[in-house]
Amino acid sequence: MGAEAEFGISFRLNGRDVVAKCPPTTPLVSVLRDHFALKGVKLSCSRAVCGSCVVLVDGLPGASCSMFAFQVEGAEVLTVEGLVTDGKPHPIQAAFAANTAFQCGYCTAGMIMLTKSLLDRVPRPDRETVRSWLSSNVCRCTGYEMIIDAVIAASRSLAIEARDGEGAHR
Amino acid sequence: MTRDLEGHGASRLLSNDPLASIGRDVERSDARDKTTGRAVYTVDIDLPGMLHAKVLRSSRPHAMLLRVDAEAARCARGVHAVLTRDDVPEHVVPSYGWFVKDQPIVASDRVRFIGEVVAAVAAESEADAIAALKLIQVDYEDLPVVASIEAALDHGAPELFPSAPPGFVPHYGPGARGGLRPAPNVCYEFGYTCGDAALFETCDHVFEDEFRFSRMQHYHLEPFVSVVKASAERLEVWSATQTPFLLRKELANLLRIAETSVSVKTHYVGGAFGAKAHLRTEPIAALLSQASGRPVRFCLTLEEAFFTSSQHAAVIRLRTGVMSDGRVVARKGQIDLDAGAYSDASPLVAEKAGYRLPGGYRFQHIDSTARCVMTNTTPAGAFRGFGGTQALWASESQIDMIARRLGVDPFEMRRMNLIGLGEPFVPGESGCDSDMVEGLALVADRVGYGRPLPPNQGIGIAVGFKDGGGVNKPAQARVKVTMGGDVFLATAAIEMGQGSGTALSQIVAEILRCPLSRVRQVPIDTDSAPFDPGTHSSSGTVVMGRAVEKAAVALRDKVLDFASETMGVPKDEILLEDWQILHGQKAMPLRALIIREFGGPGFEFTAEGYFKAKLDAEAPLDNKCVFWEIGWAAAKVAVDVETGRFNVLDLCVSGDAGRAINPLTCRGQDEGAAVMAYGQTLFERMLYDGEGQLLNGDPLMYRLAMSEDLPRSFQSILQEQGHGAGPFGAKGMGEGTMLPVAAAIANAIHDAVGVRVTELPITAERVLRALKQRDAASVRNCNPLPSHALT
Repeated sequence: MGAEAEFGISFRLNGRDVVAKCPPTTPLVSVLRDHFALKGVKLSCSRAVCGSCVVLVDGLPGASCSMFAFQVEGAEVLTVEGLVTDGKPHPIQAAFAANTAFQCGYCTAGMIMLTKSLLDRVPRPDRETVRSWLSSNVCRCTGYEMIIDAVIAASRSLAIEARDGEGAHR
Repeated sequence: MTRDLEGHGASRLLSNDPLASIGRDVERSDARDKTTGRAVYTVDIDLPGMLHAKVLRSSRPHAMLLRVDAEAARCARGVHAVLTRDDVPEHVVPSYGWFVKDQPIVASDRVRFIGEVVAAVAAESEADAIAALKLIQVDYEDLPVVASIEAALDHGAPELFPSAPPGFVPHYGPGARGGLRPAPNVCYEFGYTCGDAALFETCDHVFEDEFRFSRMQHYHLEPFVSVVKASAERLEVWSATQTPFLLRKELANLLRIAETSVSVKTHYVGGAFGAKAHLRTEPIAALLSQASGRPVRFCLTLEEAFFTSSQHAAVIRLRTGVMSDGRVVARKGQIDLDAGAYSDASPLVAEKAGYRLPGGYRFQHIDSTARCVMTNTTPAGAFRGFGGTQALWASESQIDMIARRLGVDPFEMRRMNLIGLGEPFVPGESGCDSDMVEGLALVADRVGYGRPLPPNQGIGIAVGFKDGGGVNKPAQARVKVTMGGDVFLATAAIEMGQGSGTALSQIVAEILRCPLSRVRQVPIDTDSAPFDPGTHSSSGTVVMGRAVEKAAVALRDKVLDFASETMGVPKDEILLEDWQILHGQKAMPLRALIIREFGGPGFEFTAEGYFKAKLDAEAPLDNKCVFWEIGWAAAKVAVDVETGRFNVLDLCVSGDAGRAINPLTCRGQDEGAAVMAYGQTLFERMLYDGEGQLLNGDPLMYRLAMSEDLPRSFQSILQEQGHGAGPFGAKGMGEGTMLPVAAAIANAIHDAVGVRVTELPITAERVLRALKQRDAASVRNCNPLPSHALT
């Protein structure tokens, strides 16, 4: 068995046009972590069950462990690192920090990206909606309630920013 | 969701003192790293020239290893080193374990469970390593399998270890005893006895019940992973571990090198729950690195975690003697723990399971035995709750059953029998440091205990009780302050999610009267970190907290002594605040004082702190327990009697932080432990067939609690009763609410429909079966057959 042929893919990653070369069987998570050093994207179950590796592809949450890198050709990919603007955390990140919506932190990037995709669609969700939306990702530490608190808090601060015209976040 | 702060802490939160740290919901020191993707875990370590290890695992539950032929793998693409039983260097100690040294680094003469490591390969990539593993040929000769506690204890059952592996029994105090290999397929037995067995004779009633406990996998999201870089002189180890110093000692022992030759470095640990104590991936990574001369990363998949460690399944039999009014008198109990194929931490878990079997009750006679039963399944080890979860599931179920049999209210039964504040658990023990009745009343009231309910709804309560802080657990800490007042806190407390780094920093900031932002935790490297045997037993806040408190107080004293001398003022007239010395209305910056005394390059004050509960000849487990970890739960359920399905309408849990250093963090510990227990109560379990084959050991099949599984109403109440032995009256957190949840729900189902489920998980099928058995029994009772009809 020889080395697999590599081919190039180009996509937008955290607001920049990028290209990468990799064998066709390479999962997206490997390209993000190993090629672009985006180590905030975490790999755990490798089966699209736990959600630790969730990133947004054209605004939709996807398990980067179970997507081929070539699937994002021409797409817009956003990771937890891409939410930070000029060193300033996104209001969702700030809400997770302020509400201690994490413990070990391993699921946190996936939870934050999942939250981003929810609040982009449903800016003021109720707790039931949040609970249901988050149930695609595993958190083994918190018992989820404090994460739900943070999502509600984030939706409030985003609403205030939108009202005050500060919505400069991705 | 609501969170309450009950008791003595509430007024303090209104304080406006900007330098007060204790009791504030300050943002955790790891918050920014963990929410922006910058946090570094061992899984992120990437060294130049690093190879990747993968292992071949046994496909047989129990077999002799006739042949392991790895020749083809050695020449495979990208392969740099192969490790089979023939490759382990002669000087290496072949097996390891906590009390019993029975686990081989790679299988030697036989395999004892499906998934046991038979061979390992280090290659340029994981893909190359996996391809090479396929070239290894293994011939097995199957042996009879013992896949359950019952099968292992059967007379004439095949033995996993025909001859005894080396092991030892630690010293125990009055009433406690331990023994190696008391029976075939039992690697260790712990017993505890106090009081007179004849007391059973004085009881109005003696009840015997049996309970069964399922096993979970830890399911920490960061996999088991280490990177080892071996050179002629050094073994550098980066590991996702709870026990870096234990790892250093064990690796040095195994490889027969000096402990100064091994350095263990840790980063953030992505969840552990007990799984990451002791050796895991490190010995294989070390041997492959030594063989290849390259750094080796060994990272397991989530599926492989199911072959590495688990909780203990258990069968618990309780014989409890009581008086008619509900007063408890005597309990004899036996708990058989499924230890799996290797002893790992099982003897230690047996100690605690046996010791905790009475629950928090005032028994005059206790006689408990806990055995570690070897089976051809994944080795069980340390798991949040550590034997207490098993013991309390049985104990808090049976107390409730007895109350109902006697016609005593379950709350009243507990109120009457719970050990009071300050009352010792058993002779020679420390006094209980929580008012258990006060806590129980809180949770019971919150779910409406005692109020009328619709048909088929019920309320159950339970109190979890365990010793906390570990046995013979020391902690050391070091605090250092720069000339300008920036503070370094060095400990080996592992940050695995529990937030101890922040809490310990808050303790330092409070004592040094400095802003919390000035305190930085030093990265852990066993070469320089103060000694600590491990982060476990809910010991972070009380045991390590006391060491940190002492270090900070010692440092403050040094600074005040220095200032007193330099300024020529009595020490009792000055205060340290924000790196200034306050004397009356004057504030003197310490930087200036230091320069005046030491010159421009300055000086750094350093102090150390050490804490360990004293050895005590009267204490059953060598030292009196440093704090008691209590978890309260109350549940309200609605049962569908046609199907057995039930809904948990309300779940309220509570822990006592003594005094909460960081209330939000305490809340996270209580809720996280409760939800872990809640999943186990309803569905989560490792499911084995009768032949040692795990049926659901992968993420698609293994079900654990997701957010949509939470009860409709889930509340936690953080109590601060103020009696803890830790800094500022704090107690440890993290395991208490793991203990009472399952029993509270079983008790609620009993309250709702009058039937008892004694086996976890409590599935609809089991509830329905219990309902049908009850109905069948009542039909028999209504239509008694004439006695001659039976002949």
